[in-house]
Amino acid sequence: MSWDSFIYFSVAAVILWTAGALIALKGEKKTVPSLLTALGLAVFFAFILGLWFSLERPPLRTMGETRLWYSLFLPLAGLLTYRRWGYRWILSFTTVLSAVFIIVNITKPDIHNKVLMPALQSPWFAPHVIIYMFSYAILGAVTLIAIYYLVRESKISNKGRLMAMTDNLVYVGTALITMGMLMGAIWAKAAWGHYWSWDPKETWAAATWLGYLLYIHYRLRRKASNKTSMYILIVAFLMLQICWVGVNYLPSAQGRSVHTYTME
Amino acid sequence: MEKSSRKIWEHPWGYAEGFIVASGVLLAGLMLQLTIGNIDPAAFGFPVNIIIGALFMVGLLSLHFFLRRKKIVRWLSGVSSTIPAISLLLAVIVIMGFTPQFSDHVSQEQLPPTPLRGLGWYQMTTSWPFVQLCFYLLTILGLTTLRRTTKKRGWRDIGFYLNHVGLFLALLGGMLGSGDMKRYTMSVKEGSVEWRGTDQLGQMHELPIAIQLDTFMIEEYPPKLVIIDNQTGRILPADRPEAYMFEGVGKTTTLAGNRVEILDFMADAAIVRDSNIVNFVHMPMEGATNAIKVRVTHPSLDHPVEGWVSNGSYLYPYEVLYIDSTTSVAMPVQEVKKYTSKVTVYTKSGHVRKAEIEVNRPLSIENKVVYQYSYDETRGKYSQVSIFEIVTDPWLAVVYAGIFMLLAGALFMFIAGPRQEATPEG
Ligand code: HEM
Repeated sequence: MSWDSFIYFSVAAVILWTAGALIALKGEKKTVPSLLTALGLAVFFAFILGLWFSLERPPLRTMGETRLWYSLFLPLAGLLTYRRWGYRWILSFTTVLSAVFIIVNITKPDIHNKVLMPALQSPWFAPHVIIYMFSYAILGAVTLIAIYYLVRESKISNKGRLMAMTDNLVYVGTALITMGMLMGAIWAKAAWGHYWSWDPKETWAAATWLGYLLYIHYRLRRKASNKTSMYILIVAFLMLQICWVGVNYLPSAQGRSVHTYTME
Repeated sequence: MEKSSRKIWEHPWGYAEGFIVASGVLLAGLMLQLTIGNIDPAAFGFPVNIIIGALFMVGLLSLHFFLRRKKIVRWLSGVSSTIPAISLLLAVIVIMGFTPQFSDHVSQEQLPPTPLRGLGWYQMTTSWPFVQLCFYLLTILGLTTLRRTTKKRGWRDIGFYLNHVGLFLALLGGMLGSGDMKRYTMSVKEGSVEWRGTDQLGQMHELPIAIQLDTFMIEEYPPKLVIIDNQTGRILPADRPEAYMFEGVGKTTTLAGNRVEILDFMADAAIVRDSNIVNFVHMPMEGATNAIKVRVTHPSLDHPVEGWVSNGSYLYPYEVLYIDSTTSVAMPVQEVKKYTSKVTVYTKSGHVRKAEIEVNRPLSIENKVVYQYSYDETRGKYSQVSIFEIVTDPWLAVVYAGIFMLLAGALFMFIAGPRQEATPEG
């Protein structure tokens, strides 16, 4: 399977996810939307697997390849949240965000080839990147919820419940970025001799992590303001974006980061 | 935030006092930075780091055991001091993320002459404000953890201790250990033994370890073909460069609108120049190069262009095939798939060990770890030199204990989620 067939798989998946999201908005029953979303996930994952086989390496190296996992994990995070908390709008959120990343991948795919440089040939590579992508998807969903809250605060009836869901998602997302980061540290030790070198990517990973720790600790106070909590989430997600994509453009990182594997 | 009739500095302290105290720590750091300059990690090697670590722990324990009931110690082990401390450290790290960072081996004179230099921002991790904030955060972290031992026990404590003790160990071990970490590179020729290493300042040292390089092997990916612009040398199409990785003779591909047919391949070509003619011949020898013979067709060409393309070696220059006056077929330098050093390692205490070292597969021997670092890149796959990095990091065990506790703590967090009583109604 090659990148050329991406458009067919992704369009099919987005149609399934959209159908699931629309039915979820309307109805009470969770079964049909869940099944449609799961089917879309299966279609999308089939493409990733196909690409994996044809590349003879996990598709995790280029930005385009990591976006692929992000587009997969967003609806998955949406589905899990929908099943657990029953919010009808969550599937629409994650479908739209996932579609944005799919469109980026259709219009601007990276150069794809089989090359995997020695530093990336490690058993830590796949779990490190996949866990990070999953956490980015959850924290992306959380950011949408934060914006939703700030825009419609006066209209939300059960704020406590929404905050409880947000707390849950942030705990899961933060637990995952913690694992991703530490696996990265162990891997860096084996590959480069040091577990943490404050390279630009690592610096922004640390900033992102502290951002979410700030939220978690701020929320421990019973009197914590919902609004401030949501602002912290938005700032933390901005830092996450800098860590993920911005590092390639920052002047502080030009030609310096050992973590940029995109080709010139 | 908090609404109360309490005045500032009146107990119990809240976030406002927290921000003032944390800013004080930051400012004190800045003053130190401006007066005595950057911290030299080497000056904090053994035994200074042990002494600092011991004093710090004794300080924390005494605060906890003797002054725990004091309001300020109580405050230092709670959320009110935590939030401002994390916020300011975060701010400093964000500044660091925007400012180019230089290794602490770069001297002050070599740094860009801007006001940021005096503030220590180009070498943030060895600047006083950064290190002081870290110690301030460690103080809060330590006192919080100790205070927790005096509270009612519950199953959630497991997660709490894993996360907080884990971070405490990783952070303290990392900071105190940085002065004792030693890194040397050692370059060894095939068939010979080396025991001298170069430190990060470029100084040679005799090391208590010797490496004999028995063989060095490089495995490369198959060669690639691209179409380049003759003028700029850029790979075409400019907005989305295309490359084709060789898969065998007889295949055909399309590159930047050209039909490219693979006619022949040699893994061991010698390039022989004969007045104006360039010949490619089989020659299994050192320095032989890859060559691919292609036929290119394009609507604008009267007849196909045919010829050899090669990326050369240290012995031969590369060869492109001109398609027309603006474009050519070229073969970029091959990417390395894997490089392996077969070595025999001798230590001063008499150990002899045979091993294979690769990137991501270092060798641990006594208290040292030997990493595959590089090779002679000018000779590519014919390199007879392998470069190793030899690292000693006596504090690594402490940091790893912390990292694994944090990993377990993250797993706990993932499963347990937030405290339920922290979710009020409405
Ligand atoms: C950066 C240094 C840190 C400081 C100063 C700090 C401080 C605190 C404080 C004061 C509390 C409240 C303690 C209590 O109620 O007994 C707390 C609770 C908590 N912290 Fe931290 N913490 C830090 C790092 C972390 C890390 C790295 C994590 C996880 C990755 C974490 C996760 C938590 C959680 C989940 C709780 C609630 C625990 C519970 O009672 O269930 N903290 N922390």
